[in-house]
Amino acid sequence: MKVSLNLIRKYIDLPEGLTDEQIAYDMTLRTVEVDEVENIKQKFHDIVVGKILEVKEHPNADRLRICNVDIGEAEPVQIVCGGSNLYEGEYVVVSKPGAEVVWHGQGEPVKVSKTKMRGEVSCGMICAASEVYLGDFYPDENETEIIDLKGFECKPGDNVADLFGMTDTVLEIDNKSLSNRPDLWGHYGIARELSAIYDVPLKELQEFNIERDLPKYNVEIKDTEKCNRYIAVEIDGIDNRKSPMWMQSLLSKIGQRPINAIVDITNYVMFAVGQPLHAFDKTHVSGEKIIVRNAENGEELLLLDNNTIKLTTDDLVICDERDAMGLAGIRGGKKDSILPDTKGIVLEVANFSADTIRQTGKRFAEKTDAAIRYEKGLDTQRVKEGADLALRLIKEIFPESRIIKYTDVYPNETKKNKIKVSEEFLDTRLGKKIPQEKIKQILTSLGYELSYKNGEYDITVPTWRSTGDVTIKDDVMGDIARILSFDSFEAKPITITFEHSVKQNDVLLERRIKEYLAERCGFYEIFTYPWIEEKYIKSAGIDMEKSIKLATPPAPDLAYLRSSLIPAMLEAISKNLRYYDEFKLFDYEEVYKKGDYRPSSNDEILPIQNNYLTGCIVGKNAKEIFYEAKGVIENMARYCHMEEIKLEKIEKPSWADINAYLNITKNDETIGTVGLLSVKVMTETKIKRTNVAIFEINCDKFVPYASRTNEYEKLPGLPLVEKDLSILANEEITWKQIEESIKSKVKEVEFVDEYRGNQIPEGKKSITLKVKILNEGTTMTSEQINERINSILKVLDKKCGAKLREE
Amino acid sequence: MKEKLEQIKAKGLEQIKNVKTIAELEEVRKELTGKKSELSEVLKSMKDLSPEEKKSTGMLATEIKKSFENTLQLKEEEIIDSMSVLDEPIDLTLPGKKVAGGALHPITQMKYDLNDAFLSLGFEVYSEDDISSEKYAFDNLNFAKNHPARQSMDTYWIEGTEEKEGTDRLCLRPHLTGGSVRYLLKHGAPARFVYPGEVYRNETTDARHERAFFQYEALIVDKNISFSSGIVMIQTILEKVFGRKIKTRMREGFFPFTEPGYEIDMECLVCGGKGCKVCNHNGWIEVMPGGVIHPNVLKSANLDPEVWTGFYINIGLDRLVMMRYGVDDVRLFHSGDLRFLKQFK
Repeated sequence: MKVSLNLIRKYIDLPEGLTDEQIAYDMTLRTVEVDEVENIKQKFHDIVVGKILEVKEHPNADRLRICNVDIGEAEPVQIVCGGSNLYEGEYVVVSKPGAEVVWHGQGEPVKVSKTKMRGEVSCGMICAASEVYLGDFYPDENETEIIDLKGFECKPGDNVADLFGMTDTVLEIDNKSLSNRPDLWGHYGIARELSAIYDVPLKELQEFNIERDLPKYNVEIKDTEKCNRYIAVEIDGIDNRKSPMWMQSLLSKIGQRPINAIVDITNYVMFAVGQPLHAFDKTHVSGEKIIVRNAENGEELLLLDNNTIKLTTDDLVICDERDAMGLAGIRGGKKDSILPDTKGIVLEVANFSADTIRQTGKRFAEKTDAAIRYEKGLDTQRVKEGADLALRLIKEIFPESRIIKYTDVYPNETKKNKIKVSEEFLDTRLGKKIPQEKIKQILTSLGYELSYKNGEYDITVPTWRSTGDVTIKDDVMGDIARILSFDSFEAKPITITFEHSVKQNDVLLERRIKEYLAERCGFYEIFTYPWIEEKYIKSAGIDMEKSIKLATPPAPDLAYLRSSLIPAMLEAISKNLRYYDEFKLFDYEEVYKKGDYRPSSNDEILPIQNNYLTGCIVGKNAKEIFYEAKGVIENMARYCHMEEIKLEKIEKPSWADINAYLNITKNDETIGTVGLLSVKVMTETKIKRTNVAIFEINCDKFVPYASRTNEYEKLPGLPLVEKDLSILANEEITWKQIEESIKSKVKEVEFVDEYRGNQIPEGKKSITLKVKILNEGTTMTSEQINERINSILKVLDKKCGAKLREE
Repeated sequence: MKEKLEQIKAKGLEQIKNVKTIAELEEVRKELTGKKSELSEVLKSMKDLSPEEKKSTGMLATEIKKSFENTLQLKEEEIIDSMSVLDEPIDLTLPGKKVAGGALHPITQMKYDLNDAFLSLGFEVYSEDDISSEKYAFDNLNFAKNHPARQSMDTYWIEGTEEKEGTDRLCLRPHLTGGSVRYLLKHGAPARFVYPGEVYRNETTDARHERAFFQYEALIVDKNISFSSGIVMIQTILEKVFGRKIKTRMREGFFPFTEPGYEIDMECLVCGGKGCKVCNHNGWIEVMPGGVIHPNVLKSANLDPEVWTGFYINIGLDRLVMMRYGVDDVRLFHSGDLRFLKQFK
């Protein structure tokens, strides 16, 4: 909403010496956010009145004229102009070099400079209205017409801004910050805030005296729940004249195009006091009766833009005796326009329930200014204020007009809320003691009435804040705090009582896992969206039956929410392959599955939601990356300080290679998988010329240790004897069998290397292992060592059929 | 005899001087001080001399030997000092060997930094699940029945529940605040906790808008505290993020779950508060909303608003990271793009 400080000054005397920027800042801190401070006159610099002394033909152009113009300087200047309405003695608008104008009324302003047009010097421009921000005043302007200032009292050199009342500062207020304040949708409400901020009095709105014994206009409110008040005034002696310059300029400045006096008055009143109103041509109201009722199901209404809409019983319509004329509080129908031949009007000033307006308003993409105000919840008292201001303005602009009939139907009055607020409450919540006088000043300026007794304020909330805005003492405290400015309260230190230290093992575990992967294992963390593109879910072979879907997804193929992190990881892999051959990624997020999960209360049943971790290693050598991924899982428990997890081959996940996968288990429960991505999945997701090892685990199954679990073992007195053995074994023999077979004979056994190649017979493999033997008591002789090694080899032969490789 | 010795000495010292390597040095050492050295030969031929001569020549010879030994010692040290373990030239400008890559997501980094700061103030870390219900996301938080955020234009409702209401109408949480009531229901008051997380809104995306974004929220609930303590939390966050004190201001704001509510702006770091394009020429950037917990929210958490009060602050992590590093497209955070992620250490 745009706020004219000139109009604000009609309602309060702002303190002297206050800059417009300061006003904007103070309002931003205390009331609403001011987005922009626009100095209107600034736009008109170097745009002045000129008097055409002479008009000559242009030697080189048919449509251009050469004008000699007095612009109030020592010498007249020559200006080339294509205007169709140039004549000698005409007063025109001249933009001098340096002025900023909008070429042909379109685009950003451009700086005017001295130039030559077809060989003739031109010191500036004679302007059309739209070129100098005055288009609102000349709605019928022809493209080639320039402004003719006939009728204005002016002399050459005068700044044009003054002629059109464009001397003002306009504050652009962020409408979002007004959403909870129905009282601020008019200048008077903003003025009230400023009166509280600066402690200056707010002028009262003037009443308009209606003759006592006027006949009543016939108004029937059929649905009194939805229409709280309806003032109808029949006025004769109206015509289609324009509104006075001051009103046109005010409307133009706040973004409203002036139309004719009656429409302008309704707009002006709405922006001044926040009360929407509507004028019907009285001859359009059949039967001289207005009926406010629910629409019938299927009833149709022809709108001003010639669109017909179908109504339901939820919509409230304004009707005459025959049919609906408009949607209450939202927009008028085709039937009720003010036309050039309008002689009399019926003025509607009404209050409709916010819910009704909001409900019906949803039908339209764009909200009208009236609807925006009504749906916030206006007080009914404002109806009279709006009517009074409108009638005063009509009397002023149409001195010959007469009020014929007047009705005020008033089924529901906005009641003032009453709140008790203790001084103690204010002191503690505000964090400091505010003098009673100050509290009284702030609240009274905002329209509250209050009395104080025994440490307690008895507070009556003004009607304009009683439509839902202020209901509890906290609201009152908030008003005091913000007018004082939140910024004026010193930061109070937060005191801590140490009952116990914060130790949350699950929170710490998540962090340890992420840091383990990122810092120790070299993975990059990614975040993915919870909605997954269907093709990746299908490629991964994930069962979509168990998945949760969105009602209104971001895109049609993004309806499914993840039940696994694998599909999103596939997408990330395939995208990154454009730039990298080898990389490691992980993603730690929640996945969702249909089920019964009640985290907070029994009445709320949510889908099952678990923290999952997935990671991938992308590289050429499939075996290498598989073992690397396996290593990441094997070492996770140790480095992340959690209970042991195990790896065993139980069941192949849909996305894994037929041979290379292992399930991750904890206490015999499968909690995840690690494996190579299958050829099928890679083909479908266009992962080419590389391999991917991937793992996925349900991290909610992890059990963190409460503290570190290191164990100390006394250092051996003598060094271990180490010996590398290369053995030949059949392909079917696994490392695990080898390890198990000799475990009891050695202190430690380590895998070193596996080899297949020329020197190795078909169907066999060479395995190198390192055995460590503990010296028993004393240093062993080489015979003793050989004896031990031989016994190890014997076991290997017996249990695994493995023999020492001949070198 | 003496002249001979002096000659040996001069020659020997000259020899040592010209030595270049340890091997040569050993060679020379043998030649000068070994059993077959000239010096030894001289000493052997001393038997023909008189006792006095013997004595003085002997002393001189010993002195020369000592001198050789000392000089050799110095030479050896000199050679060792000038030796390198390398037997070929080294290009010091070649890059060092890479250490394992990998990094936490910049959002996670920021989150952990903030967690550390809040842990030091005695806050717990809490997290609510992604999918919540209308009751917890809106009803509990004092959102009006017809609040626009409840519409599907704003919130992602779960298919099959969108026409229901309360606990039966499920959604991807549109904000973190619902979690505050869950925590309070579980743990009661007094309480102080942070609850970072991801939230979801039905929006059109562009460089500054996302459908999924990260927030960081903190709440204190206690007896007799003033909203002005909230400023301390804000300062904590900003100081942690930017490494120094940042100028802030608190201004009027409105949220259904607060009364009063406020917006916190920080000084624009691009222009230092003078006004620039980034801050829309007013010198301030809106960073976080906050406010005093609304009595109706306390009631939802089964807490008596006459006894308890508290305040929230909420900060957009995406926005903070963007400001911190000058990231110009919020969508990068969900891109999984390593070209982006590798920039964060």
